[in-house]
Amino acid sequence: MALRYEAGHRLFKILVLLVVIFAAIGGYIAWDRGFREHPQPDWVHATAEMRFKYGSLGAENDAGIPYWIFYVLPRMFPEKLPGPGGYAALGVPWEEGQELPVGFTKKTIGFPRVGNNCAVCHTATYRTKPDEAAVFVVASPGHTTNVEGFFRFLIDCAKDPRFNADNLMSEINLVTKLDLIDKALYRFFIIPITKKRLLQREAQFAWIYRKDFPEWGRGRDDAMNLTKYFMTKQPMDDTFGPTDMPSIWNLQKYKADQGMFMNFAGDSHDAYSVIMDSALGLLGAPPAHKQDFLDQVAWLHEYLGKLPAPKYPFVIDAAKADTGKEVFAKNCAGCHASARTGTPIPLAEIGTDRNRLDSWNKNAAVIANKVVTDMGLQRKGLVEATLNGYIAAFLDGIWLRAPYLHNGSVPSLRDLLEPAAERPKVFYRGYDVYDPIRVGFVSEGREAQLAGTRLDVSQKASGNQGHEFGTTLRPAEKDALVEYLKTL
Amino acid sequence: MNEFSDAQPTSRWRRRFFVLLLLVVVPLAVIGLYLLQRFGGDTPVDYASNEEHFKYGSTGGEHEMGFPYWIWRALPQVCPEHLPGPGYESVGMIFEPGKDVPVGTSKRRYQGVDRVFLNCAVCHTSTVRTDKSKAPIVVTGMPANNFDIMAFQKFFFACAADSRFRKEYVMAEIDRLGANLDLLDREVVYPIAIAIMRERVLTLAGRFDWIYREPNWGPGRVDTFNSAKVIFNFPMDVLPPKELAAPADFPSIWNQKPRQGMSLHWDGNNSLVEERNKSAAFGTGTTPPTIDTGRIKRVEDWLLEAKPPKYPFPIDATLSAKGGAVYKQYCAGCHGASGSDFSGTYVGKVTPIDEIATDRRRLDSYTTELAVNQSTLYAGYPWRFTHFRKTFGYANMPLDGLWLRAPYLHNGSVPTLRDLLERVDARPKVFYRGNDLYDPVRVGFVSNVPDEDGRHYFEFDTKVEGNANVGHTYGTELGADDKAALVEFLKTF
Repeated sequence: MALRYEAGHRLFKILVLLVVIFAAIGGYIAWDRGFREHPQPDWVHATAEMRFKYGSLGAENDAGIPYWIFYVLPRMFPEKLPGPGGYAALGVPWEEGQELPVGFTKKTIGFPRVGNNCAVCHTATYRTKPDEAAVFVVASPGHTTNVEGFFRFLIDCAKDPRFNADNLMSEINLVTKLDLIDKALYRFFIIPITKKRLLQREAQFAWIYRKDFPEWGRGRDDAMNLTKYFMTKQPMDDTFGPTDMPSIWNLQKYKADQGMFMNFAGDSHDAYSVIMDSALGLLGAPPAHKQDFLDQVAWLHEYLGKLPAPKYPFVIDAAKADTGKEVFAKNCAGCHASARTGTPIPLAEIGTDRNRLDSWNKNAAVIANKVVTDMGLQRKGLVEATLNGYIAAFLDGIWLRAPYLHNGSVPSLRDLLEPAAERPKVFYRGYDVYDPIRVGFVSEGREAQLAGTRLDVSQKASGNQGHEFGTTLRPAEKDALVEYLKTL
Repeated sequence: MNEFSDAQPTSRWRRRFFVLLLLVVVPLAVIGLYLLQRFGGDTPVDYASNEEHFKYGSTGGEHEMGFPYWIWRALPQVCPEHLPGPGYESVGMIFEPGKDVPVGTSKRRYQGVDRVFLNCAVCHTSTVRTDKSKAPIVVTGMPANNFDIMAFQKFFFACAADSRFRKEYVMAEIDRLGANLDLLDREVVYPIAIAIMRERVLTLAGRFDWIYREPNWGPGRVDTFNSAKVIFNFPMDVLPPKELAAPADFPSIWNQKPRQGMSLHWDGNNSLVEERNKSAAFGTGTTPPTIDTGRIKRVEDWLLEAKPPKYPFPIDATLSAKGGAVYKQYCAGCHGASGSDFSGTYVGKVTPIDEIATDRRRLDSYTTELAVNQSTLYAGYPWRFTHFRKTFGYANMPLDGLWLRAPYLHNGSVPTLRDLLERVDARPKVFYRGNDLYDPVRVGFVSNVPDEDGRHYFEFDTKVEGNANVGHTYGTELGADDKAALVEFLKTF
């Protein structure tokens, strides 16, 4: 009896030990292959510009797409992209030789994942003629990027019944050799969980599928609605206010203590708040590592604070620009180079499209600020007030910030100097060949149509009215003024 | 008490149990071992000499794309009307004596099936006849001037879509070939293989449906980079029209060592030999997990030093020396000092399209969108592609073995060297490609013969999209004597 008990006891002990060992091994594997963080390779942080383009902000934790799923989706579902070219069809800036487009970050958290950083919407490409390689300019408006197309693509893929473990695994097996553990993880966890998460986005992103709203098109996003629906979780309303991606160089020019505000309607108090809120938008969740996140925001604040605007790449007629400078002083400086710059101008005075204003409200600001405070993050934050105008813009690097007005409804500077009725009614956004005559990107013609997305100013939120300052100048004065603007 | 009486039945049952176990386990183990031995291996056919390895060795493409050996053998008889003539010879493949498969195909036994697929030599080996009465000589590394890869592809696509591509028809032809398949192959392996192959070829046919919208490439040419778009499953039906109809000549591939770092491919879109090689190997059916890097490296190493054969006709030394001076003045800067010395200011660099002014469709077929997608190839491997770049012109090539590289220009639109030295309007507007008989007078292959012994050569019309014979007008204003001298000198390359 005692013997048997002892033998049984020993057996029990061994069993327990085995269970513990297996659990420990299983736990280690789960941690190692599912959650263990590896730093990005050194080349990512080799220069400040590389870090801005490819450095992780931590978005891979919650918003990240598992690398191999990200890799095979364009091959499996090319028909869900706006054209041929895989992710390149979305106009994302993509440097030759790079594994991922600018603004896409690869980080291994258990398994390689792809997230985004600021650069995806804030890197421009331009060419001085069609037959040449593009120049990449960081912190510029990402005028080619089709953000809405990217959101839709991922959701549309997840909704397709062909998005299942069998099909994805067979595509993945064509391009890489995963070991047994990774294969099992992908098949039983990563693929089903990714599908579920992407499908959840469908409800959150309901408004990007609305038939009564036009497409954002390349280079625009409905930024305040994104914030409203994701950060404050408010129910969908009927507002729609897509705006151009802004340039984010030289952010130190915004002096909060001099009554300046940031974002098109002055929605935010200062650059630090805008960077933090935008980064939180990319993370899609509270930061997994708070201190690391704060360090990233501080670095971006420092880097973007001092980064200068890029120089105009064509020859400038200096004499003409001098004449233009006088025209500018008389007609433009009052708002764009004065104490008014960076401060809100009432809508009644500026007269541009009001939809962007309507897409945000005081209540949303209050809730959003609380959400961020509850994460334990400190910043001055969003302006808790009813806003009724647009900020008078600083014009540094204005040449690369086409199309113009907050909603990108006017293709070139020269067009902006025409009365609203005579500005182009339909044009194409997102082609990166520059037009030094009209000063903006080429927005008409076959190539612009092929590459770009159509903008019709009669569509909701895309009105090109208002800001008719300078439209009564003589043509020679307009030309001179535009020449001067190239120097900024 | 009970102990004793219990013990006996227990041990008897135990014995019975073991016997039963043996009866079940042993046969299962034997069957298992047999199946493992039969279906477990992965054995390519290897060759001792490097040149044989180039012609018949494996790149690893049979893993993913390999056609089961006997199906490969049977198909020309199953679907004869989808070929221009009898057998694979009719699309320009070369059969050497004693070989059961043509040059440019390799064999590998994988998952219990002998498989056949293409290797580098299919597009980079051809034949030359120095006289109508002489037998053709096989030359490795030269452009496969007679291989019609479009007809080859269309044959498989059409045959897979044909109602006869099923086991009844295919097995009958396999039997007729004397395959003597055993029961397992006949009843299980081959029926499954036929079904799988049909499905795969039809999938491929869907992805390659754009080739039916392109003018015939004819022998010796391929639309390289539209084919590359298929790797990414680009929706080819919505490609901008200017990207399509971009056939290019197969290049010669000797002397790769001095080419390292030069702008490779006709438009110079890559500068790393190994990466260019792996890119080309996609055409032999390889995928990143299944490529046979060791055997590709063997080809790669051999090509570093491989040399073109010497010009087989007499060369007038005096005339050639005179031509050398002309060459030095007009050509050497872009094309190198000689056929073996590739030094020169502009050698291996891209000349802008406005300056070279040759047909631009091949240039336009390669896009920035494709280049960036190519940099995702071999992701996760140390040799991920990083060197593809969109260019805006065509690359200046070294001219080693130039005599074998006719027709000339990237699209093979000018039949002979002598024609290339004529003004554009005096170059032949229509000529015939695919003849391996050499013309030592004009220096190129015979191009004015539409057919010979029942064999029809490809009518090349320079008016067709992608076929323009314009541009590269260097040397066209030289006097007739200088042109003759220059051509004589080029024979020494």
